[in-house]
Amino acid sequence: MATTTAPTTDRVFVETTPAERTGTLHRIIVYALLVLCAALVLIPFLWMLSTSLKTQDQLFTREINFIPNPIVPENYIRVWERLNSIKPGMTFTRIIGNTLFITVLAMFGEIFSASLVAYGFARFRWRGRNLVFAIMLATIMIPGIVTRVPGFLIWKELGLLDTYDPLTWPSLFAWGPLYVFLMRQFFLSIPRDIEEAAIMDGANVAQVYWYIMLPLIRPILLAIAVLSFQGNWNNFQGPLLYLSTPEKFPLALAMRFFDQSLSKEAPQWHYMMALATMMAAPVLLLYFLAQKQFIEGINIGAVKG
Amino acid sequence: MTDPGALQSYWPTLVRYVLVAIGVGLIMFVVYRVQIAFGVKREAATGRALVMPWVIGFLIFNVFAIGASLYLSFTEYNLFKAPEWVGTQNYQELFSLHLASLDSRGQRSSDVLPRRYEEIIRVEVGDGGLVLGAKEDGFWRAMRLNLPYALLNVPLGLLGALGVALLLNQKVRGLSFWRVLFYLPAVLPAVAMALLWRWMFSQTGIINTLFAPLYQVMNIETPRWFTDPSYAMTAFIIIGLWGVFGANSVILLAGLKGIPQELYEAAAIDGAGAWAKFRHVTIPMLSPSLFYNLVTSTIAALQIFEVAAFIPTSEAVGTFLNWQIYQEAFNFRNMGMASAMAWVMLLIILALTALIFRSSSAWVFYQGAREEAA
Repeated sequence: MATTTAPTTDRVFVETTPAERTGTLHRIIVYALLVLCAALVLIPFLWMLSTSLKTQDQLFTREINFIPNPIVPENYIRVWERLNSIKPGMTFTRIIGNTLFITVLAMFGEIFSASLVAYGFARFRWRGRNLVFAIMLATIMIPGIVTRVPGFLIWKELGLLDTYDPLTWPSLFAWGPLYVFLMRQFFLSIPRDIEEAAIMDGANVAQVYWYIMLPLIRPILLAIAVLSFQGNWNNFQGPLLYLSTPEKFPLALAMRFFDQSLSKEAPQWHYMMALATMMAAPVLLLYFLAQKQFIEGINIGAVKG
Repeated sequence: MTDPGALQSYWPTLVRYVLVAIGVGLIMFVVYRVQIAFGVKREAATGRALVMPWVIGFLIFNVFAIGASLYLSFTEYNLFKAPEWVGTQNYQELFSLHLASLDSRGQRSSDVLPRRYEEIIRVEVGDGGLVLGAKEDGFWRAMRLNLPYALLNVPLGLLGALGVALLLNQKVRGLSFWRVLFYLPAVLPAVAMALLWRWMFSQTGIINTLFAPLYQVMNIETPRWFTDPSYAMTAFIIIGLWGVFGANSVILLAGLKGIPQELYEAAAIDGAGAWAKFRHVTIPMLSPSLFYNLVTSTIAALQIFEVAAFIPTSEAVGTFLNWQIYQEAFNFRNMGMASAMAWVMLLIILALTALIFRSSSAWVFYQGAREEAA
């Protein structure tokens, strides 16, 4: 792997050896490739930003301009005015509120239930545990489409279509097996002595969980909170299936609504990219603030998997 | 929130959310008490009570739902009338495939196919050729697009990810910076990204503008990426790769970092060159991470949804399985047929994962397992 030579003490002359020269060349190639990959990642992203700040006549030009002239940040307000012109209820605060409402409730339910279930799998011995755990992991493979039709029918029977219920409280049933798995791995890495001491002192399970385990698993709770926020904020399939009143839409559906009603004949890419940027912004912000948690969260599963 | 309409739609859900949470707590308590009453040890009783939230969800949203889906796949059901049992009719329709031969080049497919069969694949060889037709043409067109897509996208993505992970493992400066950057596409909302790519690949979009001189030199027309079958796969692969390979490389990098340096030193003492080290140390040690990536990206590639929902394609191109089934169920209201299609898809995914798992014993190396055997 390491082609750079370690500095040796017996070399007195400052002179580049062939090995060092290939080392420099090697580094140049590595960085050139990294920069190329970075460009491939960033160009589409920058194009989204750039488009969102253009006027309509700047959209279809013969040359590629990344810097709009003039720059029109008003797009971010006008896109909502356009939406309100056909659906007065779809205001910015309402749609953001809907998205946050769904995201926060689902995220909270996911974290809470997953931590309980993971605790049960990691810290208590009971007959059938390994089998149940294996079944839980196997459910990851079931494609969502198989349960989608019956799921829809269940909510229809309950009379809860076009409410936020299907998107929020089922999270209390640990609907993300992956999160349970990640937390279990983390529980397993915590030494048992601390909780055993507490049990000796007469603490019950709820107390041990709340006062001892939760503070100890804070890093993984944070990591999962971040992943879960992102997953629920970006969720499209669930809302598409269950919500039908435009005023109740989260951002993902508002985007689809704009696309299908206002952008059908002549695509309004500047407005659509403004919406896309608005939807990506909170997730990006969270990502940059909590990058450590993000990377940790995705890696725990992968390395031990 | 000053909007009264918003509160009206929030609070009933909030109330039910709290009630369900209390209900789950009660069930956990009852499960614990009942076990204690039957003389189960406290530790086991607590453990079982704690996993109850998942068990309840599993029974309702997996076991019951999957059973219901299987039942529905043998019925005709449009939501307005009760499901009507039709036996294997849906599956028979679904697998109504017909292979016919063409008598001459350019002969219309409809001339050689039976009524209600539409062309799926057409191959012209010499003076004649073959045509494969199907009754459920939408589904088979989705298969025609989705299976080759997965077959190309998964290995390409894995190779690309491995390449980037190896680059990042070269003791580069600012590792966390590169890592954050490369993981970026996986964080962005799939919905926003699907729209962005539709815009970039559109007729007058940035990609066609960029390559306009190239088209002129090669003397080809400006591609219509999502309506022309000869371009659609390329466009979808690019979109798919952009979305995953950075993220996968971050996962593989963690695997690379976990390889003990001693192994490379030992290999060097044995006279191993760079390639030998890669082949006999890196690959075996990384195989569990590669395996994990292979499984998850195969499942993901077969379940593309947002891209299909936001990027309209022509009939000649077809769409992705997940979206095709979604439309069958919720646009055309053929719940029975959609369930049958979903079951075929489930079986395909299970077969592929089983295949990967079976093959894993040949190439995935688990350190712990080897040590135990030794």
